Amino acid sequence: MIQFLTDHPLYVVLTTVLVVWIGIAGYLQRIDTRVSELEQSNDR
Amino acid sequence: MKLVVMLVGILGGLVLMSFPGGIDRAKPSWWKLLTVLSMALTCIVGLFPPLAGSITDVVIQHRADSLKVVPALVRIVPNTAGTAPGIVTLTDARDQRVVVDGRPSPDVSAELAGLPQGADLVLGLKRMDRDNIFEISSVVAVKPLITMPYIVGLEERARIMFFHVPLSWIATIAYFLTMLASIRHLRTRRLEHDDVAVVTAALGTLFTVLATLTGAVWAKFNWGTFWNWDPRQTSIMLLMLIYAAYFLLRSTIEDPDRRARLGSVYAIIAFPTVPFLIFVLPRLLPGLHPGSADDTNLGPLLSPRSDAINPIKTAVFGLALFSFTLVFAWLVNIRLRLARMERRRAFRSEAA
Repeated sequence: MIQFLTDHPLYVVLTTVLVVWIGIAGYLQRIDTRVSELEQSNDR
Repeated sequence: MKLVVMLVGILGGLVLMSFPGGIDRAKPSWWKLLTVLSMALTCIVGLFPPLAGSITDVVIQHRADSLKVVPALVRIVPNTAGTAPGIVTLTDARDQRVVVDGRPSPDVSAELAGLPQGADLVLGLKRMDRDNIFEISSVVAVKPLITMPYIVGLEERARIMFFHVPLSWIATIAYFLTMLASIRHLRTRRLEHDDVAVVTAALGTLFTVLATLTGAVWAKFNWGTFWNWDPRQTSIMLLMLIYAAYFLLRSTIEDPDRRARLGSVYAIIAFPTVPFLIFVLPRLLPGLHPGSADDTNLGPLLSPRSDAINPIKTAVFGLALFSFTLVFAWLVNIRLRLARMERRRAFRSEAA
């Protein structure tokens, strides 16, 4: 993996873009969980 | 010019953060479409245009690594293909006073014969015995619409600027908004302003963490290790700890009014460290990061020299700032609406 990224520097940038989107997706998942909890408590 | 493009990027995003309807009202579909399209465009123009250096870059790269093939923006000088067998005359597309001989490798000879003479071409070049004879190893692009400059030592990795730098700049804006909302909370004692402070601080921390992680990935392939306590890495870690303490402080206080009041005071005191740790301290100390004290300038973006960064990269960076600011605004918007719903629910259950 490290050797592949060393040989193909564009994939280093793609990896960083992936890190950004995984981080934002994780945050969205957290918000989604809170909305679901709110919906469940409203339904009770 | 550089400053104008960057300001338009940030201010455009910030204006759209509160327009239409305010920071915490549901955004219309066109707003969301604009965010998605600008981010998609940032990824496309940030990642796809080929690198294209000059013939001088090929020579400089040869000094560092004689085996490396460098993409260079050149033109084939018309009617010179037959001057010597197997040799074509090339001129640097950006500076046509630079004229050299190109010797196609067997793999590209046939392809090269069919290329338009006089048009911009990105060819993979390698210096041979002298500074005016180059081996043509590959044809990278024909008549490219836009190209990115080739930076010796960074190459493709220079593109990280469009994704890593906006994260830390927007984190600074987020913490600034935290401070503003905290001041408003202390003046009005309204908890809605405290919600804005918490949400922007949380997103500022998310963006700081992402800037640190993306920087660490880049550092591994540029500096040889993920983490080496460079002043830039140390200062951003300090920043994370300062805002981690903000959330820690809030988590220890039960009463919402007291929590908001103390949190606001902390956020106001904490903010002056942000521009110092992101923009000032790493420039005062020697380090590996661009813009460190032993660099030739303040870094490509903040250097007053106009030639510190290519105009195309400046434009793409402005677009990246705009689109990341919109993504930040969207996340703030969703979180604030959620916080408002949670507050209403708590109020209803207390009233019941």
